[in-house]
Amino acid sequence: MQTTSDAVIIVKNLVKQVPAVNNLNNEQIDILTGVNLEIKHAESLAIIGTSGSGKSTLLGLLAGLDQATSGEILIDQQNICLMTEDERANIRSEKVGFIFQSFQLLPSLTALENAMLPLELQSNKSALMEAKQLLQRVGLADRQHHYPKQLSGGEQQRVAIARAFVTQPTLLFADEPTGNLDKLTGQNVIDLLFEMNRERKTTLIIVTHDEVLAKHCDRCLSLQNGTLTNCELIDAE
Amino acid sequence: MLNEFRLGARLLKRDWTAGELKVLLLALSIAVTSMTSISLFIQRIDKVMLDQSGEFLGANLILQSPDKISTETITQAHQLNLKTSDSVSFSSVIVANNAFQLSHIKAVDKHYPLLSQIKISSDLYGNETVRNSGPAMGDVWLVPRLFSLLNIKLGDTVELGERQLKATAVLKHDPGQAFSFMSIAPKLLMNINDVESTGIVQPGSRLTYMLGITGDASNRKTFEQWLTPKLNTSQQLMGGTEGSEAVNSAMEKGKQYLSLASMLSVMLSGIAIAIAANRYGERHYNQAALMRCMGAQQKNIIRIFSSQLFILGVIASGIGCLFGYLSQQIIATLLNDFFHTPLPAADFSPLFSGFISGLITLFGFSLPSLLRLQSIPPLKVLRDELAPLSLSLWFIYGLAITSIVSVMWWQSGALKLTLMVLLGSIVCSAALFIISALLVFTSRLVISSLSGPWKIGLQQIIRHRKQNQLQMLALGLSLMILMLIFLIRNDLMIRWQNQLPEKAPNHFIINIQNDEVTPVKTFLQANDIKTEGVYPMVRGRIIKINGVNILDRTTEQSKLDQSLKRELNLSWNNSIQQNNQVISGTWWNKNSFDKPYISIEKGLAKRLKIDIGDSLTFKIAEQEISASILNIRSVQWDSFQPNFYVIFPDGIINQFPATYISSFYLSRENKQLLNTLIKNFPSITVLEIDDIMNQVKAIMQQVSSTIGYVMLFVLLAGIIVLAAVMQSSMEQRIQSAVIMRTLGAKKSFLQRSHLTEFALLGYLSGLLAVIGTETISYFLYTQIFDLNFELHFMLWFYGPLFASTLIILISHFYMRNITKSSPIKALRYA
Repeated sequence: MQTTSDAVIIVKNLVKQVPAVNNLNNEQIDILTGVNLEIKHAESLAIIGTSGSGKSTLLGLLAGLDQATSGEILIDQQNICLMTEDERANIRSEKVGFIFQSFQLLPSLTALENAMLPLELQSNKSALMEAKQLLQRVGLADRQHHYPKQLSGGEQQRVAIARAFVTQPTLLFADEPTGNLDKLTGQNVIDLLFEMNRERKTTLIIVTHDEVLAKHCDRCLSLQNGTLTNCELIDAE
Repeated sequence: MLNEFRLGARLLKRDWTAGELKVLLLALSIAVTSMTSISLFIQRIDKVMLDQSGEFLGANLILQSPDKISTETITQAHQLNLKTSDSVSFSSVIVANNAFQLSHIKAVDKHYPLLSQIKISSDLYGNETVRNSGPAMGDVWLVPRLFSLLNIKLGDTVELGERQLKATAVLKHDPGQAFSFMSIAPKLLMNINDVESTGIVQPGSRLTYMLGITGDASNRKTFEQWLTPKLNTSQQLMGGTEGSEAVNSAMEKGKQYLSLASMLSVMLSGIAIAIAANRYGERHYNQAALMRCMGAQQKNIIRIFSSQLFILGVIASGIGCLFGYLSQQIIATLLNDFFHTPLPAADFSPLFSGFISGLITLFGFSLPSLLRLQSIPPLKVLRDELAPLSLSLWFIYGLAITSIVSVMWWQSGALKLTLMVLLGSIVCSAALFIISALLVFTSRLVISSLSGPWKIGLQQIIRHRKQNQLQMLALGLSLMILMLIFLIRNDLMIRWQNQLPEKAPNHFIINIQNDEVTPVKTFLQANDIKTEGVYPMVRGRIIKINGVNILDRTTEQSKLDQSLKRELNLSWNNSIQQNNQVISGTWWNKNSFDKPYISIEKGLAKRLKIDIGDSLTFKIAEQEISASILNIRSVQWDSFQPNFYVIFPDGIINQFPATYISSFYLSRENKQLLNTLIKNFPSITVLEIDDIMNQVKAIMQQVSSTIGYVMLFVLLAGIIVLAAVMQSSMEQRIQSAVIMRTLGAKKSFLQRSHLTEFALLGYLSGLLAVIGTETISYFLYTQIFDLNFELHFMLWFYGPLFASTLIILISHFYMRNITKSSPIKALRYA
């Protein structure tokens, strides 16, 4: 595989094994058996697969949340597999945004406070202003002082999108972003996500089993038996 | 660092707005409130007790010497800004109307008494007036009995040596009298400037010079340090706490009760903090994981959360200090009636130590949670099942125990008590694991024969075994503390006060001669005066320990024990006195009556570092007698019975000249009988100790009332702890209840299954609490308060039942909405 200069993520022979549940003889289960992947700047990529296929594991590795058994992951030419946890944390802080299936908003913080949190962690002084702007962008200007419990699922995910974009990340990882939403709400969230992605030229990596969502992406890969293949999407319409 | 602190503060503020922190803040505030209020209060009581015993001596310090006190000593005292007063006492015969009476004369200067006041009256049994100084030159004040013995009235003259002196007042109370406890009464108080003119004092006269000293405490200390090495064996420096064994003993016990109460409240709050902190940690796992995900490093996480805890600790400790100060003020106001003088103000050291203790407790119990937060894998945001690193239980418990024990020790200053409470808690925990193993085992046996709600209830207990164990431990320990407080208030304190009954002896008679013993007994019986007994008394001095001269032995010790400097009252007896208890060794029986054994008081044994089998040599009337220690006794000094440091069996020291001593109670209106007693037996001396006794009673009263208020605190803390314990597990229970309701479980079914679960949980926690309580109280009774220990059967019966009821009530409070409303509403609550 050739590496192109505008690739933000390059994955080479990525292997991930986890110990078996009843780990009596040091048995290991293979989750990823050798993943190779290149993702270009501002590209949107969907990774689809059935439950338990290892999608989330792959996402965790790409985002530097987990450690690979072997292989390389280069983000902007830096191999994050060789980094310490704190160095990976720095990468996450500078370049990465997240959107989760279960939103992961903190229940004790308001919508605005949730959106501010990543900037606050970076001690960014304009956290309040930027978070407000983003909440406005996702259409929640009038709900910024509500707690997550007081918001609908779609609204919560929009807060999460605002939070993900607030640090102006170059990479955005989304883990089943529509998994907990009904079809219509899900569609709205997808539209918002892609609009903002285009506006900000973010590289978007989505893990999902929702083919509708996958089709919105520039490219789609399928994770099966621990490796990636090009996927064939059946047109739903 | 600063940024993380700011972020921590902001997040804390947001958590507060969201209502997350109330239990933690409340628990910590209450802990600090009870610590500070109790130690502020103990400090004030301590001061008042010291002052009171100072008043008892008439000064803070008294230097007693058979020779005139050197001007160097007095100058040194004055240089240290201390006030002094001179007095001298001796025995002499007073003559009036051809009657002669040997009296104890005390001559005082114009500064006497430095503390407290002299009480006099203008007729024998009339109203008292107070005076700040002694008689003017030419005047004398005499105790009531001297008036009747000499057959004189106010204004008459008495002869003392070559002088005629005018009796101008009846002496009712002289503050220095506790000090001359064993001296010869009745007493006459005169001006020191008249002494020379009486011509009584000649070279070689037996006089006791006394220098009273008062002033600033630190200067007193400097003076004491300067003076002590200069004292010879015949001189003695006495401080405020050496006034009377009875008062000391009562003060010591009183302080121990208060320390114990304060310690228990600290421990209870510790449990609350532990639970709240654990919950705080658990509720922040997601937050920590998310922050890691957003690029926060481990060190950022620990700084952010420890800033939060620090701020929380400072706020809660601050609130605690404030409320602690206010509440001890309220207690002090409520208790004002019990103290003769207003309580001296406390200094601020308890506030400082309470504040620091609050922070130590919080961090001791929260550090494990903090470390777990730090170790949260960021991947948890994707995989909810990921748990943070589990820490070694040894580490968690070790840290918690270390912090709570150090705070308890620091706050109470009583290591022995602290260790006893710790031991009781360990026994309670050990019992827990045995009970819970037994429970699971028997539940498995019976569960198949049960059905319906009972089965579900039992299953809940088995399934949540680990969680239930922790919960039972927390409940058990909290209930244990409540039960201990209950026992202290309703058993220990009452038994302590009962040791000093309404009619405890308020008179000692000494100097009863051998041939007067039977007539005195007959006299007392005829007048319906009860006495515990008449005991022989021989004066003797300890000169050797295990054959080694005490002067050689103690050269390495800086200070010769007081008991070695003076003659001790020795006695003999075949049976042990009622208020004495053998704590080590055995009392003698008939076979050993003639053997040279002794029984020794435990305090003296401890001070002299001697034990059973050691031998002491006494010098009695120029003869040496050696005896070995057969047993060690505890003596209830505040019983107001005659008590002795050393007792021999019958037949060892009988040949020495002995006088006899007894004590009895006489009401105020029957005091006239004393005159008849003295007329019939002129050589005996009557000592009135109503003042000492009133003081001991006052101390008991003060302490027991204080404990009453302290109990309120502990109870309050106890309720919050129980609520916090229950709350920590309620969410899960509520969730499963809701699921069961949606699956079709009826209200009554759920209620019964909860009832089974909570009744059993409460009963077992109560049982654990009783086991812990009995363990701790065994040590308290036998080691600290010298009382007989018996199992409290009522507690075994009612304790678990009470706990069971309490837990059912609390859980009902939390679960009421779940079983009351419709399932859909219940789902929303969950």
